[in-house]
Amino acid sequence: MNMIEKIMAKRSGRRKVTPGDVVVCEVDCALLHDLSARSCRIVFEKQVGGKMAHPERIVTVIDHQFSPPTEEKAAILVAIRDFSWKNNMPLYDCGSGNIHNVALQMGHIRPGDLVVGSDSHSPVQGVMGAFCASLGNDSYAATVMPYSKSWFKVPETVRIEVTGKTRPGVTPRDVALWLCAEIGEGRVNYQAVKFCGEYLESLPFWDRYLFPLMGVDIGAKCAYIDPDKTTTDFADSVGCKGYEVERDDPGTKFVETWSYDISKLEPQICFPATVGNVAPISEYAGTPINWAELGGHGGGRLTDVEQAAQVLRKKSKHGHVNFNIVPGSRHVFSEAVKSGALAALHQGGATWFPASTGANQAVNMGAMAAGETMISTHVRNFPGRNGSPKAQMFLASALSVAAAATAGKITDPREFL
Amino acid sequence: MASEKKIVPMKGRAWKFGDNVPTDSIVPTAVVQGTMEVILPHVLADLKPEFPKGVKPGDIMVAGHHFGQSSGRGVASKAIIASGIVCIVAESFARTFLRNSYEVGLPLLECPGASELAKDGDIVYLDLVKGVARNETTGVTLQARPVEPFLLTMLEAGGIIPLVKKTGPDLGRGGA
Repeated sequence: MNMIEKIMAKRSGRRKVTPGDVVVCEVDCALLHDLSARSCRIVFEKQVGGKMAHPERIVTVIDHQFSPPTEEKAAILVAIRDFSWKNNMPLYDCGSGNIHNVALQMGHIRPGDLVVGSDSHSPVQGVMGAFCASLGNDSYAATVMPYSKSWFKVPETVRIEVTGKTRPGVTPRDVALWLCAEIGEGRVNYQAVKFCGEYLESLPFWDRYLFPLMGVDIGAKCAYIDPDKTTTDFADSVGCKGYEVERDDPGTKFVETWSYDISKLEPQICFPATVGNVAPISEYAGTPINWAELGGHGGGRLTDVEQAAQVLRKKSKHGHVNFNIVPGSRHVFSEAVKSGALAALHQGGATWFPASTGANQAVNMGAMAAGETMISTHVRNFPGRNGSPKAQMFLASALSVAAAATAGKITDPREFL
Repeated sequence: MASEKKIVPMKGRAWKFGDNVPTDSIVPTAVVQGTMEVILPHVLADLKPEFPKGVKPGDIMVAGHHFGQSSGRGVASKAIIASGIVCIVAESFARTFLRNSYEVGLPLLECPGASELAKDGDIVYLDLVKGVARNETTGVTLQARPVEPFLLTMLEAGGIIPLVKKTGPDLGRGGA
């Protein structure tokens, strides 16, 4: 069995599972954000009710709203807080960070765990050597909340091997954007994905994160990187205890293996209006921008902040651009204070926002008028996701976002190295 | 929530959509926390403005690849049911959307060639158990993937919540 199958077997009380089996598994951790916590609460209270089996495993992060802009939104957050406090569920309130960063940074996800998430990017938690798939409100209300269980069909697993060394100015985010388009949107629908190869294995923990993150875009149910010392060192550093690491059995067979060499890659950009549209950034050089943002599920990591600070130390942001910095967690903010990146970005003209998902879906910031353009580290660029359907969203690395913020237009970030 | 029902073939008027329809278009973020009354006038309106007013109970959606991609919002499946649509036939579905839909009682049928099956207004016949998709207007018949027995059981129960009330948390699967 591979890592996914071993976790599913362990948590369903079976010696072995095979792709295609439908199994019911014990859930170690369930993640909710403010958009989903509200609807799960309504379905649970109206249609199910009763006590929760393990409320301490159901973690809510209010991440789409760092501060409610209207009375109606404030009332929704009040209801979420009351529900969490009443049931003794862990709650991270406004300003804590985005759901995936917070769950990892606060030690809620451990190697070998079976995790579920309401957010569609939940497969990202496979970076920890855990199984993690997205579930809807009714699964939460019917089985996760009352019984701490969930049903799954055991997926087939595709192995994706990434080899080679990147050129200067090409970051893991460029590789992840490119890989998503190379593999293709929805290509591995319902399947699990194992990311491996010398390139991925050489990356630090928070750079590995970017690969299972795009699992949903290629259609994957879950994604993982074989847990190694990088994984367990991170787990130990955030206080994970009592975990059981699971790894692929020797000689594990995969339904397919695809190999990618990234040695010749240039910095990449994802252009409107879907994540499968990726090209070398030089093809879009010169496109004027109004907004630049580091934040969202694909950004706001410490390494993003450091890359941007490196650019803004050389040149301040362009006068016609607003540059938003949204840390992924409070930890990132503290580290940016210590490293001096906070001051460098501030002095370079960028604006710091509270830890959150930032402009994701323009829930509490980041709406654009028709004709406006943003370049960001966010993960999606569908029309209308950030205000007007006639606004444009480009997705790129933190280095490219910062380079565009200083130039006032999309530009090759290698000019700033 | 629907009560116990037998799965029978369906026939309805087609609404045609393309590839990669995101849940953001099914229920836009601006109304995602609204009541169903607030949501319904916006369902798929950015892709087909005439859909919210024109859809009638018993209609069927016909679509391309990776239908329901993007956000895992469960309300997307509920809004399609509330609009009157009784089934979606598509080349493929995003997995979270597929799971969410069966869990709230909306059947989906995967069918190679569904992109070309019908145009708006054609009459479509779907058999979930046998895996048949037929355009009764043109006579074209396609072989679809028969729906998994476990998902049919969930559909018969009316969704995951009534199924759990009937079987308990092991859903009749044994294990944990």
